[in-house]
Amino acid sequence: MTYHPSAAGSAVSTIPASPDGADPAVRVNGVTRRFGAVLAVDNVSLSVEHGETIALLGPNGAGKTTTISMLLGLSRPDSGSIEIFGSAPGSAAAHASVGAMLQDGGMMPGVLIGELLTMVRSLYQAPLALDEVLEIAQLRGLEKRRVDRLSGGQSQRLRLAMALVGDPRLLILDEPTAAMDVETRRGFWHAMGGFTERGRTILFSTHYLEEADVAADRVVMMARGRVVADGTPSAIKNSVGLRVIRFSITHPGIAGLDALPGAVSATAHGNRVELRCSNSDTALRALIAARPDAHDIEVAGIALEDAFITITDGLAA
Amino acid sequence: MIKYLGLEIRRSLRDRRYLLLVAGWPVAAYLLFSTVFGSAADRTEGLAPTVEIMVAMASFGAMGGVLLASGPRLAMDRQLGWLRQLRLTPLSPARILTARLIAAMALSLPAIVLTFIAAVLVKDVTLPLWEWPLLVLVIAAGCLPFAAMGILVGTIADGDGAQGLTMVLYLVLAALGGLWMPVQILPSALQTVAKTLPSYHLAQLGWHIARGAVPAVGDAAVLLAWFAGAALIAMAASRRLTLRTA
Repeated sequence: MTYHPSAAGSAVSTIPASPDGADPAVRVNGVTRRFGAVLAVDNVSLSVEHGETIALLGPNGAGKTTTISMLLGLSRPDSGSIEIFGSAPGSAAAHASVGAMLQDGGMMPGVLIGELLTMVRSLYQAPLALDEVLEIAQLRGLEKRRVDRLSGGQSQRLRLAMALVGDPRLLILDEPTAAMDVETRRGFWHAMGGFTERGRTILFSTHYLEEADVAADRVVMMARGRVVADGTPSAIKNSVGLRVIRFSITHPGIAGLDALPGAVSATAHGNRVELRCSNSDTALRALIAARPDAHDIEVAGIALEDAFITITDGLAA
Repeated sequence: MIKYLGLEIRRSLRDRRYLLLVAGWPVAAYLLFSTVFGSAADRTEGLAPTVEIMVAMASFGAMGGVLLASGPRLAMDRQLGWLRQLRLTPLSPARILTARLIAAMALSLPAIVLTFIAAVLVKDVTLPLWEWPLLVLVIAAGCLPFAAMGILVGTIADGDGAQGLTMVLYLVLAALGGLWMPVQILPSALQTVAKTLPSYHLAQLGWHIARGAVPAVGDAAVLLAWFAGAALIAMAASRRLTLRTA
């Protein structure tokens, strides 16, 4: 499956200055959370500025959902501290300024979409107009539909509507596009682009680097409960090396291969060489020019999980 | 919170299976029992059998309406993740539970009103006019302990377990509390137990009024004690409400 950058990505604009003083949208300081013997989140620190769209990228089990759950005040860190616009997660102030889509967020059974959104809207001081919510979440015409009789895609759009209805300053989305096809996903991020243009902050989790690349202006990569990289999408892509060129060589020696343009690292097993690449096209051209003895060349993608593990192992060493 | 409360009530009223169970059943049972035992002289409450059974069945239905609106629904909402979702809004947990408690109490009304209507229309029951609204109000208010017990069950039990536990609680409270048959026909050990149950005291409150007497303070005190006990345990267990079930 490929995912092509759409207009939404390039529409992300510069970060506006914090509108009300020094408190960032999110401040996480040395947070750790255990479940029994499992260290789900391990000494994580991160800060999100106003107007940023930030992706929490990592494979399953990386600690993304646990982190998000703590940001929302649904669970508490064992140690460390979290502030949302300077307030404690789960406080009244935080609830008023944060909207969230949970992976396991359910809806009130037996009521209609319109009834549910009207009720939730009444809980906020300055909510969005119902019409606007229905428009952004593409739920127009479904107001009379019962929430327990929706398709997967419609349920997901309702979750988005629930997150947006209070007009939150910070939107936290836990794998918002997990159930979406490529087309729906693109529409989703297009709608979100409109949201950030109004100076709103978005934090979302995903396990697709492509999605983080398109939608976020900063990527925080997590693996095994730790933050293993934090930077712009392109910096992350370059450091990960998401494609690999495998080839055989006639003359032993791989010195200098990792310095080829587009290459990240090179390893040899006998006469078989594996070249991790941030840009495999560029690296392949350079490789053929530099090593006429290279043969049986294959180019393949690496599962993101493997890339994460490489990075984590690198940090542990 | 008012809108949330309204929506909680509305979704129960929309549930036909629920209404049939908590309002249809007591009305049908009333018509059956008052026909079969309608002329029996062995009544114990000093009331016409059609009146005594009317109060008993209204209390029975009211209790069921409240228990089934609170327990199984809370368990389901917890499992579906709706409570977690609702926790993310500015509505505080205390308000969420208060709204659910009031909604459950309000759902005692269909059974009470329908049983009374059946009694008047089919069994020609007559009472002094002032007794009717007082009876409705007192039986509804007397369901407070059942609302707390339902919330407790919904907090500690999951899905089908909560449904089953609520039904068992409902039937045991009804049978032992003297709503189906006079407590006096039970063995004396069971009678002692029966007289501590909230269902017994709920029926006593109603029968007092139907006899034209003022509701007894003692019955109300027992109901309040049951409410306090159930509410305290539910509060102690309330951390479970927004935990992940996955």
